Amino acid sequence: MKRKTASCISLGLTLALMSAGLAGCRFGFASDPDDPNEQVTEEPIDTSVDTFRYDESLRGTKITLLNSKAEIQTALEKMGAEYEKKSGVHIDVMPVTDDSPYTRVVSLYNSGNPPTISILDTTDVIALAEEKAADLSREPWIEEARGYLTEINGKVYSLPLCIEGRGIIYNKAVIEEVLGEAFDPETITTLGEFEAFLERLAGVGMERPLSLAKEDWSLGAHHLQYIYETYDGTSQGTEEVIRQMKEGTLELSSYNRVSEFLDAFDVLKKYNVSLKDPLGADYDEMAIDLADGKTAFWFNGNWAWPNLAEAGAEHEDEYGFLPYFLNNDPKDFVNRQIQGSPSKQVMLDGQMATEKEQAAAREFLNWMVYSEIGQQMLVKTCNLIPPFQNNPYEPGDPLSRDIYEKVHEGRAYNASAIVPNDHWSVLGAAMQKYLAGRSDRQELIDSIQKYWDEQE
Amino acid sequence: MKSQSNGKDFCMFALPGLFCFLAVVIVPFLYGVYLTMTDWNGVSQVKNFVGLRNFGAVVKDVQFWRSLVLTFKYVIFVVVIVNVMAFGIAYLLTRGMKGQNFFRAGFFTPNLIGGIVLGYIWQFVFSRVFVSIGDTTGWGVFEASWLSDPAKAFAALVMVSVWQLSGYMILIYVAGFMGLSEDVMEAAGIDGASGWVKMRHIIMPLMMSSVTICLFLTLSRAFMVYDVNLSLTAGAPYGTTEMAAMHVYEKAFTSRQFGTGQAEALVLFLITACISGIQVYLTKKKEVEA
Repeated sequence: MKRKTASCISLGLTLALMSAGLAGCRFGFASDPDDPNEQVTEEPIDTSVDTFRYDESLRGTKITLLNSKAEIQTALEKMGAEYEKKSGVHIDVMPVTDDSPYTRVVSLYNSGNPPTISILDTTDVIALAEEKAADLSREPWIEEARGYLTEINGKVYSLPLCIEGRGIIYNKAVIEEVLGEAFDPETITTLGEFEAFLERLAGVGMERPLSLAKEDWSLGAHHLQYIYETYDGTSQGTEEVIRQMKEGTLELSSYNRVSEFLDAFDVLKKYNVSLKDPLGADYDEMAIDLADGKTAFWFNGNWAWPNLAEAGAEHEDEYGFLPYFLNNDPKDFVNRQIQGSPSKQVMLDGQMATEKEQAAAREFLNWMVYSEIGQQMLVKTCNLIPPFQNNPYEPGDPLSRDIYEKVHEGRAYNASAIVPNDHWSVLGAAMQKYLAGRSDRQELIDSIQKYWDEQE
Repeated sequence: MKSQSNGKDFCMFALPGLFCFLAVVIVPFLYGVYLTMTDWNGVSQVKNFVGLRNFGAVVKDVQFWRSLVLTFKYVIFVVVIVNVMAFGIAYLLTRGMKGQNFFRAGFFTPNLIGGIVLGYIWQFVFSRVFVSIGDTTGWGVFEASWLSDPAKAFAALVMVSVWQLSGYMILIYVAGFMGLSEDVMEAAGIDGASGWVKMRHIIMPLMMSSVTICLFLTLSRAFMVYDVNLSLTAGAPYGTTEMAAMHVYEKAFTSRQFGTGQAEALVLFLITACISGIQVYLTKKKEVEA
């Protein structure tokens, strides 16, 4: 009898523990990301024309490239292979796997084996450049990337790899279906109009038409940084406002962009599809919701395209960006333009690499900017928006295309805040608390103030 | 003659291991201690000696102490629940019941899954499966994701850690129970000891060596928890479930304050070492031989 009871208890416990793991299977994604029948279509590259001049003396050189942009790993490998065919220079593309890019590159430097080329975030380049990087101020591509360069004490140490933009993504087809009329994004020009539009959608059955990510990088970097970047829309202005915050000369409560930002954020919060449990929102589900029409808007950037594509969005679908409306003045640039700035920087090692390796790395960068093949591969294979004026190719997916068009029509501002590296994580947490309704405006403003007071 | 060959044996067997231990544990540890006294940022070639300034920063880092208090809370829950559960289950599984080998394997399985993977699986369970159950049944407890509420997220962390660690401890306790001498048990039975008395006065003292090992393992593992913490909650919601080890990593690599991070790591090490040391000393004293 006793044995039987013991056996029952054990069996029960084992089943309970195991079933929790198995239960996951029934709650899958709307579209199976690993569908073997799915055809990956890739735009073909025309390699017949190539007027780039290769340096023959570099043939046989081997260089390494550390890639921190996971989604272009395969594309970069293809690019490297194509470049090797033409130039004879071999490029080993190493991905950053589980570390942060900075940690990885620092550990490679400390082991005496740094990559010749590293793709890093702007803050990483600023931290490393003067000590480790090669000076690129005299490279020919500087002219093509004007307006998108990061200067450190008057010198350029990195090539801006791509432009990334963010804003409120809309799904035009869904909106038109819900409203039963054509949707023109240009008709919304202020925060008030945007709120009224959300209210209209709510009135016709789409109760909460917007997805808001709870991730700290989204809240701490992509939302909150608007308060710096919208100072005047330029990087100089952004730098100025950050300097004032560090010095404590800018009172946050009297800086109108802060209250405007919070007004805007409150509107997003109110129409958030996961209003009931904003911190339980699931990132993957947001893409599915937008593609399937459960929501009409999602605050994010063009890097969200792979997620949308996985959720079933097609290249022909009409997705685009609305600005992050801050106030009710239709003339204010923030209500007319979206933010788009260079996001990844390519840095060359100037410390351990031999002259030949450095020359090969420089040639590779120029090849990306000037050769017909490199230009095509940057846009078509890597699916990036190049910041180079001479690149004639247009990106393929609707989000990147929208940013590309806005950048070329002057409807984007390129201010990009350079903040301390833990800004997104520390203030992201403060924003999460505000999003969940567990802190008020004053507490949030106090945490921002405290964060800047602690910076040296 | 004898001592000579002993020396040779020692060199042959212990030196390679000792060398590895020195190279990958002792030297980096000492170097780490040295780094706490510099202002090194991880990259620069110059390391300036700053004395105990980094430790001053540790004292002032409120978040570190908060995460340390949370870690203590976590350790208490995990150590107690894991050991009580593992001891109980091991007791049940050594009574010769049907299919006990199957159960032993079943309980051990979670321990074979890496902490990161485990964290992601459970994240899915807590934020999707449970919420789904809540939606269909209307049970308030599953209405919102557990991971979005500080107290429930902490409970989730404890639950997952218990689930992962128990299997390993069960194995050690099972070995302990199997090692109990039948003669002693029988003698105790003849002397009239049964049930709780037998457990309290015969089995427990004989099981103390297993208890020492299990307590030590759970204590040190719980203090140093990082992988499950990272993949299950990553400190969310708003940094309320950030344990000490994770805070140290964030300090060093996200905030890029290597010196302070390293000093905090040292503080965490000293605390863990002291507590584990005291625990081993105390439980060892209680060990008896049959």
